[in-house]
Amino acid sequence: MSVRSDKQGMKIIIIGAGNVGSTLVEQLAHEGHDITIVDIVARKIQAITDNYDVMGIVGNGASYSLLMEAGIEKADLLIAVTESDELNLLCCTVAKRVGRCAAIARVRMPDYSKEVQYLQEQLKLALVINPEMETAKEAARILAMPTALDVMAFAHGQAELIKIAIPEGNRIAGMTLAEIGKKLPVSALVCAVERNGEVYIPSGSFRLEGGDTLTFAASRRNIRTFMDTFGFKSRRVRDTLIVGGSKAAYYLAQELIHSGVEVKIIEQSRERCDELSVLLPKAIIINGDGTEEGLLKEEGIERADSFVPLTGIDEVNIILTLYARKISQAKVITKINRMNFKSVVNSLELGSVIYPRYVTAEAIIAYVRARYESRSNSIETLYHLFDQRVEAIEFRVEEASEVTDIPLRDLKRKDELLIACINRDGHIIIPSGDDCIRVGDTVMIVTKHLGFRSLTEILK
Amino acid sequence: MNYAMIAYIVGAVLRIEGVLLLGPCAAALYYSENVGWYYLCVAAFCELCGWLLVMLRPKDQVFYLKEGCVATALSWLALSFFGGLPMYISGQIPHFIDAMFESASGFTTTGATVCQSVEALAKSTLLWRSMTHWIGGMGILVFLLAIVPLSGGSNMNIMRAESPGPSVGKLVPKVRHTARILYLIYIGLTILEIILLIAGGMSLFDSVNHSMATAGTGGFGVRNDSIASYTPYLQWVITVFMIAFGVNFNAYYFILFRQFRKAFSMEEVRNYILIILASIFFVFLSIRSIYGVSDGLRHAAFQVGSIISTTGFTTADFDAWPQVARTILVLLMFIGSCAGSTGGGLKVSRVTIAVKTVKKELAAYLHPKSIKKIRFEGKPVEHEVVRSINVYFITFLILFTGSVLLVSINGYDLETNLTAVAATINNVGPGLAKVGPTVNFGHFSIFTKCVLIFDMIAGRLELFPLLMLFHPAIWKEVCRRRK
Repeated sequence: MSVRSDKQGMKIIIIGAGNVGSTLVEQLAHEGHDITIVDIVARKIQAITDNYDVMGIVGNGASYSLLMEAGIEKADLLIAVTESDELNLLCCTVAKRVGRCAAIARVRMPDYSKEVQYLQEQLKLALVINPEMETAKEAARILAMPTALDVMAFAHGQAELIKIAIPEGNRIAGMTLAEIGKKLPVSALVCAVERNGEVYIPSGSFRLEGGDTLTFAASRRNIRTFMDTFGFKSRRVRDTLIVGGSKAAYYLAQELIHSGVEVKIIEQSRERCDELSVLLPKAIIINGDGTEEGLLKEEGIERADSFVPLTGIDEVNIILTLYARKISQAKVITKINRMNFKSVVNSLELGSVIYPRYVTAEAIIAYVRARYESRSNSIETLYHLFDQRVEAIEFRVEEASEVTDIPLRDLKRKDELLIACINRDGHIIIPSGDDCIRVGDTVMIVTKHLGFRSLTEILK
Repeated sequence: MNYAMIAYIVGAVLRIEGVLLLGPCAAALYYSENVGWYYLCVAAFCELCGWLLVMLRPKDQVFYLKEGCVATALSWLALSFFGGLPMYISGQIPHFIDAMFESASGFTTTGATVCQSVEALAKSTLLWRSMTHWIGGMGILVFLLAIVPLSGGSNMNIMRAESPGPSVGKLVPKVRHTARILYLIYIGLTILEIILLIAGGMSLFDSVNHSMATAGTGGFGVRNDSIASYTPYLQWVITVFMIAFGVNFNAYYFILFRQFRKAFSMEEVRNYILIILASIFFVFLSIRSIYGVSDGLRHAAFQVGSIISTTGFTTADFDAWPQVARTILVLLMFIGSCAGSTGGGLKVSRVTIAVKTVKKELAAYLHPKSIKKIRFEGKPVEHEVVRSINVYFITFLILFTGSVLLVSINGYDLETNLTAVAATINNVGPGLAKVGPTVNFGHFSIFTKCVLIFDMIAGRLELFPLLMLFHPAIWKEVCRRRK
């Protein structure tokens, strides 16, 4: 699954070797870029340079002389992901003055998150990322469609990729994809199926079985029809119990309250409870230890529609999930921040799992790939599916090329690749062989070939 | 342990060596020497062995520091073995261990020879000896890294195992590009020296040989009296280049990218130059009465440059010099060249940091509660680095004294034994007394030669990669898998 190319990679400086920083190093180094990682703690740098082919520098990333040493003058991109928002913004500001690179900053404090637009414009940042907010948005999307294991939005939220598990004995089991297409009153496309650990990009003759996990694409409206047709519940949750009053919990509560869901947050620290009650007047804030069985029962975990443990400790989140699945019917979402034992986590059958560090990395990789390719095209969104074995990428078509204005059936496309959907002026098309790609569209492809940078790569 | 990956790396190294062995074949063809056939056979054999090992292309390409060290140590042993093979079977060096000694001495850039008369050797063998210096100088695994794409970040573990110096840094983010830059600088400087030597009237064959031997800081010559019979101009050119190849290559990288201030503010390089200037001055004072001013200065500079860069060329029999000059030269053997160069020895950076720790310890006696970090190259040195340097000195001392003890079984005097070990473990070449510039290592017993071969490879790989091979944990899994 190597996606190296002979071309010289981009020169990228990453400041901050924390959770997100090291994930970025891992993924961007894998894509073949020249990376310099900066952190004030020598130990962290040592750990990263031992494991990845990157250069490490110890020091303060906002200092002019350090940035010079890191080669800011020739760098293409600077990504600031230290603990502190202010430091990240300062790093980007200094970098923009010294070099000609693009800059990405992580800003996650609620105070600034409302002003992201302003900050981005004034400081001329390429991207401002907020992993906590992205995590919350993803959780909110899943809670709006609780049968789904995962919900990924694209085409500005007009369409979604939905991942669901097929229970044994479900109506859809035993049907081929062609039959499903006939039965559905609306258009939707099954993009990828996981069976016994193998991932398939299915064709029309592919027959589904109970126990499969599938991902399908459809416009937002048609998703409910799909779910209802095949007997999946599509009702959104009415209330949510959140454990831990982190930033992500705040963003999630805000999203949910906005769409009319009752929110209850259990938080241990008294001061944080006070803050939250000011920030979220409509939520019920409970001051107590969310890992206490008695308290959870008292607050009605058994009857809750959904339950989201958002503590800072992965192990606690996992235990709480397992507990909730045991004693209640609630939809549960687990947030896992740092843990790497993906195979173990998968075997626990936690249901929906969110990895905030990957959420952030996806956004940045999408940006980097689009910038790296000289032709004018851009990647709107990028998702890694099924443990990064499948990529879903949404391209914006900005100029005519070998793939535009030709009916899809006449395009010699690579195997293991699907054109999942086309967004034409806000109108979602699930394409058939007669459709063609036009300039101005955004096109979502789902593929097992990793590392696409432009739409023309779909051709053989 | 990822044995498949280790085998793959050793195999790749052997394949490169197979190709390099064609060098002496070409020379044999040009000078119509029969020994070329032996080189060709060994080249084919080497290629075959390498191919077989590479065939086991491992699925799992991940390897850690221990695999990097083991692969490096085994590669160097294999390299020396196959390098010595043609010299042995062609009868150029009649005894097997002697051939191994010559080959190990070549690859480790020691330059200690067992040959009574190098002029009696075939031209192709002479070329091969110089080539081993050139390959061994920058390191064959670094070369491997430059051309073979190994996935993942773990290839830094190979670079770390083979490159000299207490902490190995990169010039650019990717190991592969770093290795390429190093080799480009290396090749560039070598060619420059060849041109300057030819301009001074040296024959093409001699200048190519001498340049490769200088570049690797090796010291195999093509004449029995080493460099002594060449003109003063040529001796000065070689002096300058010997010293230049002992400089940390980072300095050249900075110069290449016009960061002159960075290049000239490198503390290690400055200390290296200072030590050289001071040594030349004192050696000159002590030998002035023998040679006169101009010759004395030339001989002093040449010998000092040759010994501190651990090259080992000679223009004069320094064994016959006054005691001060002899002692200075022996001490220079231990200091050696800069980290990140092609030379051997303890390295100037290690010595500098060690001296600073002594200074710090003295200050701690004056102000017991004072806290002071050692600084080197303008940056505070991590405790971990200081600790590893201290351990390096101790390990070096143990290995050195142990070797002297083993060599003493041979029955020679202490001066011979001490300098023989010092000259091999530091990859210098000539020592004093019975291993002085005018004599060779041929008269040692087989056992002693084996000890010295071990010292040479241990010294070149900075001790630990080779010593790792003796740790039972490395081989535990092999035994377990057999059962």
